[in-house]
Amino acid sequence: MSRTSTSLVARFAANTFWLGRYLERTENLARILHINETYARDKPEGPDWQRILDLYSDSERFHENHEDTSAQSVLQFYILDRNNPSSIVSSVISARENARSIRHLISTEMWTHLNIFYSQLLKMKAREIQPAKLANTASDIVLSCQTFEGIAEGTFLRGEPACFYHLGKYIERADQTTRILDIGYGLLPLGKGDAVTSVQWNVLLRSVSGYHAYRSRYPGRSRVVDIESFLLYDNEFPRALTHCVDRITERIRDMERRHGTKRHSEVEGTRRELEFALETGPGRDITPEMLHAFLDRFQVLLANVSDAVRKTYFG
Amino acid sequence: MSDYDSGDCFCEMQSQHNQPHLSKITKRLDGLDISALRRRARDAERELFNLGVTFTVYTDRDAIDRILPFDVIPRVLSKQDWATIESGVKQRVAALNLFLHDIYHDGHILKDGIIPAQLVKGNKNYRPEMQGVDVPQGTYVHICGTDLVRNENGTFLVLEDNGRCPSGVSYVLENRHLMMRAFPDLADGIPIADVDAYGSRLARAMSEVAPQNMSDPTIVLLSPGIYNSAYFEHVFLAREMGVQLVEGRDLLVEDDTVFMRTTSGKQRVDVIYRRIDDAYLDPESFHRDSALGVPGLFAAYCKGNVNLANAVGTGVADDKAVYAYVPRIIRYYLDQDPILPNVPTNICGEEAGLKKTLDNLDKLVSKPVGEAGGYGVVVGPRASKRELAKLRSLVTADPGNYISQPMIGLSVSPTLIGRAIEPRHVDLRPFALTGEDTWVLPGGLTRVAMKHGSLIVNSSQGGGSKDTWVLV
Repeated sequence: MSRTSTSLVARFAANTFWLGRYLERTENLARILHINETYARDKPEGPDWQRILDLYSDSERFHENHEDTSAQSVLQFYILDRNNPSSIVSSVISARENARSIRHLISTEMWTHLNIFYSQLLKMKAREIQPAKLANTASDIVLSCQTFEGIAEGTFLRGEPACFYHLGKYIERADQTTRILDIGYGLLPLGKGDAVTSVQWNVLLRSVSGYHAYRSRYPGRSRVVDIESFLLYDNEFPRALTHCVDRITERIRDMERRHGTKRHSEVEGTRRELEFALETGPGRDITPEMLHAFLDRFQVLLANVSDAVRKTYFG
Repeated sequence: MSDYDSGDCFCEMQSQHNQPHLSKITKRLDGLDISALRRRARDAERELFNLGVTFTVYTDRDAIDRILPFDVIPRVLSKQDWATIESGVKQRVAALNLFLHDIYHDGHILKDGIIPAQLVKGNKNYRPEMQGVDVPQGTYVHICGTDLVRNENGTFLVLEDNGRCPSGVSYVLENRHLMMRAFPDLADGIPIADVDAYGSRLARAMSEVAPQNMSDPTIVLLSPGIYNSAYFEHVFLAREMGVQLVEGRDLLVEDDTVFMRTTSGKQRVDVIYRRIDDAYLDPESFHRDSALGVPGLFAAYCKGNVNLANAVGTGVADDKAVYAYVPRIIRYYLDQDPILPNVPTNICGEEAGLKKTLDNLDKLVSKPVGEAGGYGVVVGPRASKRELAKLRSLVTADPGNYISQPMIGLSVSPTLIGRAIEPRHVDLRPFALTGEDTWVLPGGLTRVAMKHGSLIVNSSQGGGSKDTWVLV
């Protein structure tokens, strides 16, 4: 490591952290909207969009301005509505504003790509998010996020800013995986003896790009407990909770090396709770209620880590 | 280029004879058809937008990013012309630094009656707080952007000194990158001076003026923040220097020492390249309601615990009224004739100058001395009767606030306008960096007035820019 004499300006630590979080959130939100639409294809009553609002605790805010939970209104709310701070367009605007503050710390390619992504979203029309077009539009959004991530992987100096960026990204990713799992368990039929009875479980796996990964882990088996343990505990799968927590741990260790253990104790405390929750997490006798309770608790623990990082480093 | 006619103006491309490289460039431009040129120009502009080489205009809801219009036909300076400009700029910067040191110490030049004391001490950019403050290396103007124009004879004249926070250098470097990507063939085999060294030269100059000659000072760039229209340039320079880009809220002062708030707590700061005006630097010393500044910064600076670039109080040297005296300032301190002449200037604060101005309002260019960015400039021959009458009352009411200059037939440069190449007026802003000594970035920012016949090149008034090639 060269020239570590200068530490990162505290405000920039927050900016890089949020850059990572907003882009990860964007990618996952696009994935979730997409799977919710896809699930509905076999159902006579169509997709349940209220569920998405519940998933993000947005129901109240949504109903302030909308009467029905039609596909069009929920998709508008989550993709193009600039008055909704958690819409995709708002997240990308926030990502870009954060990136603007740290432009001197990220690569030109990262900034350029974010600019292109941003202008694509601003130009997006309501017809591009109609249910029939959603699959294409959502994959474009996911691809733009992945492209950014690839550029960051290849060009972002692995100093302190990258450390906060990764921390934000993995905290958000873990949080989003808990939400995707939650939506699956609430929505999908559980067959007798745990055998997966619906192709929709495969759709859920595909939504996290985990279908083939799961297949290679459990050849010829489709059981709900396997899917659950794959998404919770397979630390070689990049969106599994253990994988995310391992990355969070690595970044937290990096920070400890830079800033010492004393300063760092609160962050470390919240990290251990996260690890402990996974070690003692649900096993093969899981019920939907237990899983839901676990996922809820895990979201709180992730928020605690995020909060401790903010208090310790963002000055 | 075959239909191109520069009329009576000096043309940067065609009026310079015996320049084989220039005719080579003209020939290559001729070889491109206009559609190809347009297409490449469009690609270049899109690239500027994607790169975020923009200045930003804010409305209530949106941040609108605009690019500085970029013209793809370069402005070329010969080796001889550049030698004159380089030595002339160095001479001018040296004189201005000596002048600033003098007026903030013993004031010999005022006592010797070379320049009216009232003009200096009564100037709104004179900072009495700087009296007796010593700055490292005696350098006040570390970064200088001298605006030059070229008259009908091809002579370069100084139009203005920018010794506060001159901007635009990022465009010089970005325009070059863009040009080399869009038109690699145009420059093929033509020796052009490199501009890439600016960032490292700037960092070096900042190190040379660190307090107490420390060896590895912490340098930061202080910006008003992302809402500033020049924010892109602040980012660009922080990156090129490899330093942190901070805002006032990231800095604090304790025991007359400046620190920045970092992830590991407070860290000392030694040199601040500030892109904030004097008035907003420190609410304790200047504007009380400044939210951009750092309370206590000026006291730390006076104690010599931190250095600021440019120094506080340099605005008095680039004032439009003081400008008229710069040739005399050069002779006074350096005992040399100015290498780059001034545009002849009437000072309305002096009786003779006022009379000459009021008698010739319709022939002269009149400028308020306190304004930047081309605001308030009245070009006599192009002004309406009403505008002239309004000007007359303004000048009469506050003569000290005005200067006037004869019309200069500014040089033109071939510029792509729609589907044709037309002459457009240009100026030149070379950038000089001064730590222990002065270095001038080869070339500088060529600004071009995109409107037919317009003499005002400022970006805030619709001007664009060109890549500037110095032949070596």
